[in-house]
Amino acid sequence: MISQFFVLSQRGDNIVFRDYLYKARLKRLVIVTTDRGEVAKGSAEIFFRKVKFWKEDGQEEAPPVFVGITLLKNNVDGVNYFHVKVVGLLFVATTRVNVSPSLVLELLQRIARVIKDYLGVLSEDSLRKNFVLVYELLDEVIDFGYMQTTSTEVLKSYIFNEPIVVDAARLQPLGPAAIFMQGTKRMPGTAITKSVVANEPGGRKREEIFVDIIEKISVTFSSSGYILTSEIDGTIQMKSYLTGNPEIRLALNEDLSIGRGGESANDCRSSYGSGAVILDDCNFHESVRLDSFDMDRTLALVPPDGEFPVMNYRMTQEFKPPFHINCLIEEAGHLKAEVILKVRAEFPSNITANTVVLEMPLPKYTTRASFELEPGVTGQRTDFKGANKKLEWDLEKFVGGVEHTLRAKLTFSQELHANIIKEAGPVSMTFTIPMYNVSRLQVKYLQIAKKSSSYNPYRWVRYVTQANSYVARI
Amino acid sequence: MSGHDSKYFSTTKKGEIPELKEELNSQHRDKRKDAVKKVIAAMTVGKDVSSLFTDVVNCMQTENLELKKLVYLYLINYAKSQPDLAILAVNTFVKDSQDPNPLIRALAVRTMGCIRVDKITEYLCDPLQRCLKDDDPYVRKTAAVCVAKLYDINAELVEDRGFLESLKDLISDNNPMVVANAVAALAEIQEHSSRPIFEITSHTLSKLLTALNECTEWGQVFILDALSRCKAADAREAENIVERITPRLQHANCAVVLSAVKMILLQMELISSTDVVRNLCKKMAPPLVTLLSAEPEIQYVALRNINLIVQKRPTILAHEIKVFFCKYNDPIYVKMEKLEIMIKLASDRNIDQVLLEFKEYATEVDVDFVRRAVRAIGRCAIKLDRAAERCISVLLELIKIKVNYVVQEAIIKPLVCTLKALLMIYYDLPRYESIIATLCESLDTLDEPEAKASMIWIIGEYAERIDNADELLESFLESFPEEPPQVQLQLLTATVKLFLKKPTEGPQQMIQVVLNNATVETDNPDLRDRAYIYWRLLSTDPEAAKDVVLAEKPVISDDSNQLDPSLLDELLANIATLSSVYHKPPDAFVTRAKTASQRTEDDDYPDGNEKGYSANVGDGGASPSTSSSSVPYTAARQPSPAQVMPAPASPVPDLLGDLIGLDNNAIVPADQPAMPSGPPLPILLPASTGQGLQISAQLARQDGQIFYSLMFENNSQITLDGFMIQFNKNSFGLAAAGPLQVPPLAPGAAARTLLPMVLFQNMSPGPPSSLLQVAVKNNQQPVWYFNDKILLHVFFSEDGRMERTSFLEVRSLFHIALVYCGTELSKPYIMKDHTAERSSSMSIWSVMFVTWRSLPDSNEVLKEFPGIMVGSAETTMDRLAASNVFFIAKRKHANQDVLYFSAKIPRGIPLLIELTTVIGNPGLKCATKTPNPELAPLFFEAIETLLKI
Repeated sequence: MISQFFVLSQRGDNIVFRDYLYKARLKRLVIVTTDRGEVAKGSAEIFFRKVKFWKEDGQEEAPPVFVGITLLKNNVDGVNYFHVKVVGLLFVATTRVNVSPSLVLELLQRIARVIKDYLGVLSEDSLRKNFVLVYELLDEVIDFGYMQTTSTEVLKSYIFNEPIVVDAARLQPLGPAAIFMQGTKRMPGTAITKSVVANEPGGRKREEIFVDIIEKISVTFSSSGYILTSEIDGTIQMKSYLTGNPEIRLALNEDLSIGRGGESANDCRSSYGSGAVILDDCNFHESVRLDSFDMDRTLALVPPDGEFPVMNYRMTQEFKPPFHINCLIEEAGHLKAEVILKVRAEFPSNITANTVVLEMPLPKYTTRASFELEPGVTGQRTDFKGANKKLEWDLEKFVGGVEHTLRAKLTFSQELHANIIKEAGPVSMTFTIPMYNVSRLQVKYLQIAKKSSSYNPYRWVRYVTQANSYVARI
Repeated sequence: MSGHDSKYFSTTKKGEIPELKEELNSQHRDKRKDAVKKVIAAMTVGKDVSSLFTDVVNCMQTENLELKKLVYLYLINYAKSQPDLAILAVNTFVKDSQDPNPLIRALAVRTMGCIRVDKITEYLCDPLQRCLKDDDPYVRKTAAVCVAKLYDINAELVEDRGFLESLKDLISDNNPMVVANAVAALAEIQEHSSRPIFEITSHTLSKLLTALNECTEWGQVFILDALSRCKAADAREAENIVERITPRLQHANCAVVLSAVKMILLQMELISSTDVVRNLCKKMAPPLVTLLSAEPEIQYVALRNINLIVQKRPTILAHEIKVFFCKYNDPIYVKMEKLEIMIKLASDRNIDQVLLEFKEYATEVDVDFVRRAVRAIGRCAIKLDRAAERCISVLLELIKIKVNYVVQEAIIKPLVCTLKALLMIYYDLPRYESIIATLCESLDTLDEPEAKASMIWIIGEYAERIDNADELLESFLESFPEEPPQVQLQLLTATVKLFLKKPTEGPQQMIQVVLNNATVETDNPDLRDRAYIYWRLLSTDPEAAKDVVLAEKPVISDDSNQLDPSLLDELLANIATLSSVYHKPPDAFVTRAKTASQRTEDDDYPDGNEKGYSANVGDGGASPSTSSSSVPYTAARQPSPAQVMPAPASPVPDLLGDLIGLDNNAIVPADQPAMPSGPPLPILLPASTGQGLQISAQLARQDGQIFYSLMFENNSQITLDGFMIQFNKNSFGLAAAGPLQVPPLAPGAAARTLLPMVLFQNMSPGPPSSLLQVAVKNNQQPVWYFNDKILLHVFFSEDGRMERTSFLEVRSLFHIALVYCGTELSKPYIMKDHTAERSSSMSIWSVMFVTWRSLPDSNEVLKEFPGIMVGSAETTMDRLAASNVFFIAKRKHANQDVLYFSAKIPRGIPLLIELTTVIGNPGLKCATKTPNPELAPLFFEAIETLLKI
């Protein structure tokens, strides 16, 4: 199984290092011969150099799994490195055997999640402040390189150190639910960065449960505005702070159906408008019981502590894209061109999207771009990134039903080639729309098994739609 | 608790260690705890706090679990450097392992297993035994892993104390966590042992399948991976297993899904019902696609696996091509993999959609990605004949956009190369004539050597159809000396073709210039050799030159980077492992611990093999596996036959001294009887030197296997028993494959045995030598050493017959042969791994001729055997065929008969043999050509033995 686990900072500093090696598995130190003689180098350092200066196969980004090669008089140290990046930290595992890479990569993600559950916030600072707790956790999560458990709930009975919670305000939060922290409309904020195990200052924990329906959407529009591909990756994420682990029932749309039945994505296009929600595929957390799912689309579970996905789903059923993008680019005289970018929000006016950003690569020899916004608008910012020749348009808020326009005048340093359209674009867009989901998948009710008549914990059911890859070709 | 742990990192003004020592011995528990934390903080940043060992260990006897855990953490780190002090902790460990609190019991066992000090392992056994039978499942599961830890430290101890049996019992445990860990531990132990330890019977199978439903996601992966090593007995059982596993596809953990997919794919091999298979494929598709919604890291792994799966079962995802369209924000490593799969899934039905996507990618910013996208269009053109024109026109469109120089270069090259490949495959010039005309106009923009060479090939190949072919070629000739070798070679061939097709004055002058340039003015041996061959051909027999140079091209099928089928099958069996991500068999990157113990680190990685280890996963390391059975993986590990023999180094050192008695595993006990029979063997150890023991032996080949045939005769006065044999390092790495089976020999008794041998175990460096040094030992006498001679013909493999196809699989030869015929393969598209077949117009004879001539003369070695007489060609052929030397062709030259033979020795090294003799008269001339001419002396010895009457 895995030989080592370590966490590196962005600069390559070792924050956490755990070694499960033992003789046959891996020599922790590999001797690297340099001009100055023999220097002992740790695998963490070798790894970091590899990742930082990756240049293989014409790619400049290291794939998440690769073999480390240290040339030492033709000797190859066949250490396999796995890594994932989480909030700027590198979570790394090494091995010398033919393990399941998805297993190791999942593990790395899970470790990050468990640590976040415990510390409230995952950052270099919080890791350093809680190193003893982190090592204690790691010892329970991995024994001799074998995963034992990554369930925060199970771990609770074996962990004795208490977390030292760092100030979350200034730190970038982690995980899909983090998007609730963005923008002006802040959700019940502290919950997201609240440790699952640490007690509130008041001594009593607040009884509450969060259910987030998070949908990441990918849409590609053709140059004529026609939808080429569209996809929804959804998660029902849960984070429970309920004591006594009561059973929870979660009811979804009754007309929900799974599996497209037909062979190709096109077949179900006709179902659009009929109201039924058709998932291509879905999977569930291991705590979920599906006894009555086939009958009434209800999920039953006893939520473990910590944040976890109750259900992941995927849809290619057609949906109404929340934004419509229209881009016009034309020559406007010698060494000049004009871009007109129009975006219309196709959702109800009581809903507001936030942190909307549009980006568009411009022709290589663009030297200057001057922007013209609609008169009187606020909260919008435009920028021309000279280095990578990109137009950027930020909109703090985007109210439903509204259309915004941006005009940009471009100046070029040299004569245009035949087709300016081929040298600019596509327009890509990122956004977050709270309290809105495109799939129409709903949590109809969230039932908590009652312990007493006065027991009425807070329930937060929140929806959010986020852009994954939202692209309009021109 | 108050404050931050980071305060433990702060240093104090006075000496840190004495201060910590003081605190560790404090009366207050909290202070001690803080002190231990400080010590550990120092430890994690690399400070040496080992001098505090005793003080820290003193803190161990506490009821406080938090403190205990800290002390344990410290102990794991320093016990190795302080073994004597570690003993101090043993009592506490043993006591803790009997603590009423199961957490402490488990903690004690877990920690003891991590302390790799021999003295401690002995004390570990009893607590471990107890804990394996503990009431608490947490303790049992911890103990299960501890067995694997102990095995790593002391395997014998584990076997002697019966821990393996206890571990096997845990498979039937009622707690699924315990089952999962027991399975993981057994799998780990199996990995390090060559004996079968963990075998899955139908009983354990059902146990494991039951546990699968209940254990944690990680445990599910352990169990699925363990199960994937067993194959169902029949289709019914396979269906049964699959049925139990299918629900795992719905798991949220990608590792579980992939391991389940692997298991299902394996069982599918056994299921014959097409309905069931189709149904399973249908079930697997959605979960596989869902993997692409996971984090990009997981997506990457999933894509690499899907790449393999669609090669084997293209129908699974045939309708899902859209999900592989690149997203704008995909990391580059994901985009590249998606491109590969899009090419694999491209069909006549969806090609328009796919081309639209590729075209879009080709205008993106990232140049590497653009390049790949353009090449992908070319590969689709080759793959889908009917869509080829559409693909080509997309490429032309892209050129017309003329985005910028970089992109221009990125498009021209794939375009030209694709065109060339298409012409080589389909011979349908008229379809592309207009494009060629366009390209000819922009010849000056062709800077890239490969594009240039491809263009020149097209001009040469279609010289009679392109009106100004001579002018075009002539324009290139001016810069001939400055061109890179591949362009020069192509120019040479194209000019010869032009001359043969249009034998007019202009081309004649050109050919003079080219031949002169390519023979006199160059230092490149390839170019010079090729030029001389053409020269000779043209000057002696222009008609023959036509036959050779303008011969029909081989039929080349595109398989757009399809892997070799046998490699693909192996990789598919390794789905959901690293192997499937690298697209290399496990042996190519995993050092097996069990073999590592017998070899040094350096031996594991033969010289020149670094390339195989690079993360250059794209080409899959797929050299065609020319060998059939004996060395399935070596083909992939060894880049080319030329590297099989180690480079000449120091002469063979005397290594016999340490042969006997050092390595118990390597010495094979002799205890089973065998009856003396068979033909006499040469005596190697006469009774006079062997104190009455006489040994005769000879290497032999039987049913494709190499044996050492041995005869022992006991002429001494005592009974001899306990025979063992050991071979010294030798040129071929010959070693015993099994135990030497010789019964105790009473005085006067004799025994004969066949000892199976394996190759490539312990190879001695230096030029190949026929010397085989053997050491034999028994319980009564000193060790006997004797020398034997390795006869090369025992290595000649049964598959050495050069059928036309296999003949061509000898890749280097094949390549040169094609070059010789005026054809060269376009590297990115065709050079991959084709089993190409020459068209029928080329007789086997000309293949032989070409192959023979293609090997450099330095590889030809000649020897005369004046004493050998060939009575008839037929008996010679039969006799040689019996030793796997196969007849290819025969011709008459004056009064002499020339016979051609082929043979192959392991690792696919071919030998071509030419025997020249006058039938019925003594005197035989034997010439041989092989990529490894240093083998020739050994070969001649073998031929002499085979042909002597």
